[in-house]
Amino acid sequence: MQKSSKQPHKAATKQTAAPLKKKDSVFSFQLLSAKLPVLVIFFFLTWLWSGWYYGSVFYISREYSYWVADSRIMNFVLSQPYGILRYIGRAILLLYKFPWLGGLVMALMLTSGSWLTGYCLRLRGSWRTLQYLPSLLYMAVVTWNGLDIFFEARTGFIFGIPLLALIVLMVCALIIRSFSRKTTPAFFANPAGESPRQHCIQLGIILVIMAAVVGFDMWKRPYVRVICRLLDMEYRQDWNGIQKLARENAMMSNRPMACSYAIALVQTGQIAERLYDIRLDYDSLHVHGMDWKHNNASVLYVPEGNYYGGFIESAQHACMEQMVMTGPTIRLLKLQTKCALMREEWELAEKYLALLRLVPFEGAFLKKYEPMVRHLDKVNADPEMALIRLTEPIHDSFENQYQQPLFMGYNLLLVEGRSSQALTNSLSVCLYTKLMPQFVERLEPIVGTTPSSIIMDGILLAENKQPGLSQHFTGMNFRQPQFQTFLHTVQPYMKDRAGYANELFPKYKGYYPYYYFFGNLKATKKGYTSLSSSSSGVN
Amino acid sequence: MRRQILYILCSLLFILVGCKQKAELPSQFSEANAEAKIYPDYKDVVVPPNIAPLNFIVTDSAATAFVTHLQGGGKELLAAASDNGVIKMDSTEWRALLEANKGGEVKVDVYAKRDGGWVHFKPYKFSIAEEPIDAFVSYRLIEPGYELYRQLGIYQRNLTTFDEKPIYENNRQYAEGENHCINCHNFQMGSTENMLFHVRSNHSGTIIVQNGKAHKIQFKDSTIITSGVYPSWHPTENLVAFSTNKTGQVFHLYHPEKIEVMDERSDLLLYDVAKNEVSHIIRTTYDLETFPCWAPDGRTLYYCTSYIKPLLIPELPDSTVTQQLLLKYDSLRYNLMSIPFDPATRSFGQPQLEIDAASEQKSISVPRVSPDGRYILYTKGDYGQFHIWHKSSDLWVKDLQTGECRPLQEANSDDVDSFHSWSSNGRWFVFSSRRMDHNYSRLFVAYFDKQGRARKPFLIPQEDPEWNVLLLKSYNVPEMSRDAVRISLEALHKCIYDTEAENAVYKPNPTAIVKLDGVTGASPKKP
Repeated sequence: MQKSSKQPHKAATKQTAAPLKKKDSVFSFQLLSAKLPVLVIFFFLTWLWSGWYYGSVFYISREYSYWVADSRIMNFVLSQPYGILRYIGRAILLLYKFPWLGGLVMALMLTSGSWLTGYCLRLRGSWRTLQYLPSLLYMAVVTWNGLDIFFEARTGFIFGIPLLALIVLMVCALIIRSFSRKTTPAFFANPAGESPRQHCIQLGIILVIMAAVVGFDMWKRPYVRVICRLLDMEYRQDWNGIQKLARENAMMSNRPMACSYAIALVQTGQIAERLYDIRLDYDSLHVHGMDWKHNNASVLYVPEGNYYGGFIESAQHACMEQMVMTGPTIRLLKLQTKCALMREEWELAEKYLALLRLVPFEGAFLKKYEPMVRHLDKVNADPEMALIRLTEPIHDSFENQYQQPLFMGYNLLLVEGRSSQALTNSLSVCLYTKLMPQFVERLEPIVGTTPSSIIMDGILLAENKQPGLSQHFTGMNFRQPQFQTFLHTVQPYMKDRAGYANELFPKYKGYYPYYYFFGNLKATKKGYTSLSSSSSGVN
Repeated sequence: MRRQILYILCSLLFILVGCKQKAELPSQFSEANAEAKIYPDYKDVVVPPNIAPLNFIVTDSAATAFVTHLQGGGKELLAAASDNGVIKMDSTEWRALLEANKGGEVKVDVYAKRDGGWVHFKPYKFSIAEEPIDAFVSYRLIEPGYELYRQLGIYQRNLTTFDEKPIYENNRQYAEGENHCINCHNFQMGSTENMLFHVRSNHSGTIIVQNGKAHKIQFKDSTIITSGVYPSWHPTENLVAFSTNKTGQVFHLYHPEKIEVMDERSDLLLYDVAKNEVSHIIRTTYDLETFPCWAPDGRTLYYCTSYIKPLLIPELPDSTVTQQLLLKYDSLRYNLMSIPFDPATRSFGQPQLEIDAASEQKSISVPRVSPDGRYILYTKGDYGQFHIWHKSSDLWVKDLQTGECRPLQEANSDDVDSFHSWSSNGRWFVFSSRRMDHNYSRLFVAYFDKQGRARKPFLIPQEDPEWNVLLLKSYNVPEMSRDAVRISLEALHKCIYDTEAENAVYKPNPTAIVKLDGVTGASPKKP
């Protein structure tokens, strides 16, 4: 027995001796697979993918999910088809509070699944490559779905599906083991009877498929990881991080990213200085609603947009609509808590905090916001909330009177603001929507001052129809020559603005007149996005 | 093997028994100067003798254990809690305690174990009335307000226990062709023998349940504004009065109240269940009639109405009515009216003004006549009719013998106190209130004495009192009944999913009130 098991190994060594000298890469493959079994390498590769590369996406999936042990609260999940699976899947997803930990568990599940697949199907030699395919397919499906894996809270399936597969495989393996007494292959060593060359082939195929998966993500879904990292930073209030990441991906354009970036700029007082540093043309995203139809992804940014815009009730409204549709999520409960605190709805804040207290690993949020309950001074002393207070409306009106999303629609019609920040936001929205008459109407309070760069450029543009407008402001002379040069330079491109927009962007990045003529050409006076009104009614 | 299993089972039992808090009165304790802080507030309330245990939470962060001692009428009940403070009482002992103290009081002593030993808080009391409450209350559980809906259902709670059963739940998983809303369930005189509720969106119609069978109907006629909305089942006849409303809602931007729901038009309808015929009771352009409610003798129909013509600019077209009303939403006020009805001839008399709320800048909705016919319980707020979102909304009562109107001070709160329903003996009523957290409505029960005064209400008890906090749904449209709904979920599901709504035949009532001045568009069908 011993002899027969060693023979193929010797033969394989002879066969592969020549190529070893020729190709270093094959050599290192062999060396790697000789020292580390393929399964172990596969484990580390999947851990790298699930913990580091895609960790931010799973982390946000966790935020877009909710799990507590109490089955009464979780009835909204348990009462759905595959409720138990979704429930357990959501529980495991909580580990992604620490992406390395969540990634470790996912890698273990995928690796174990591969191992059991090989055992159940009795795969040997090069055929053993097949055992990795289900796990690789899972990674490919997750990548293909992109934002859809957590959008509309289908988060239970992220771990639920591999878990189900693992259970099925375990049952199969147990049955096989009970009846055939077939020995299980080693987990931490290459199976006996397989040559290094076969291991190289396995490893090679794994690497190629993984590279293809990652390549597809970078090529077709590059925004997924960026949006998730931005959302993560938004929740951590890392405003500088958001700006840095958004500018690094300035050519990428989507609304969730633009909203995060705008929020970061508002929070750092730079909305009228740096808004146009990123492209604002809004490429289509691969994201689908509950109806499986293409969705405009407003769910990802409208509640936060309203909150950071100072529209607390509308943020509550948007959160509640989403909670109705998807059930509670950690992200919505946190935002609802902050809204309730700002509205001094202490009992409501306590309610949401009680629901968050039941979720593992949410201590940091509770530690920060629990002391604010019934302490308005602490709420108002919070830097984020204090800044938001400055842009709250002064008078009541109805949401329905404004274009959607509200944080833009309201600012287009702002008549009276409680601070210079409110005016700046309003002017910025007027410029963003290219509604120059509204922009000019709102300039009066800053007459005689030196406006910020973007507003100066807006004034220069508006001057075409209102000659002499710039004379009411100081510092305009320095801006004028650049504007004239720009108008002269872009003249040849004006005949096909959409066609030349991308080409000109790197040159004029951050410059408002470029945006005015070449950016966001789809924008109209009508709504930019809107929440689906399906299934709506008076409740 | 068997011995091992037995051993494991015994161990588990031992652990379970060991985990349960052992209730024992502390032999030594110091007196505290304050009363214990308990949630929900069950101090000094009046409760029915058949109510489920009033479990509660004692909040004292310095304590590690609690004991509660209830005593009265020679009976006593001990219950203990760990540091979470959740006091759960034994149902059998609780029932015996209430039975022994009918018409009397129960004293409650709360003890907390702190670092320095046991502390005894000042005792409090609650009273037990002689009269029982109807055993069942049905309600819809839905997220508070807003536009969208997903998982919702109508449930029935047995108030004498903690049992809650679904009467009907809509589709649990989103499906475009299946999504539907359900609302406005109603029973005939506190009996579930005859029942109805509406289904909106997919599978739409009004579900009528009679003799244990369900069928689906709809009102489609050019003279009917929309469909049947707020119902009231005639106490003796097989008739239902409905309002038909063209309703819209808007969302405040910076206001203590979050939502405003307004009608642009509304009328009243009478539906003959046996004949499947519908007719108008009142059909007007500038009067918005809503919330019909029969008197127990079935000879008077109460309803609310608002005259909107003064709020509208005559020069503007009808298409602007919604916008015009929106701008004057806080000037829209409803009065309480009544209209006589002869069940024998099915004829209506002339409407009479019952309460002129508009003249005092107030507005009335949801009139409900007490089972003895003496009182009308209604909600009164500053404006509008959808008082479940109006903080000014309070419960009021009109004595139909004396004509006196007064607020039920003891039952009201600073927040919304609205939708209400009588127990069949008239001594209890249940109502929804947002007083707990100003958003999620919860059900409260109040005693209504023979002099027409309410007592301090209490939150309907839950087995786990923390559920009142954790539940992310509002209690909506509470309706009391003596008996449980008997039709099965499956039968209702079959009716809703598998049958088409049968259209009711429109048959004009010659005694209907019709005022159609100023109507534009298609010529109305005159009754």
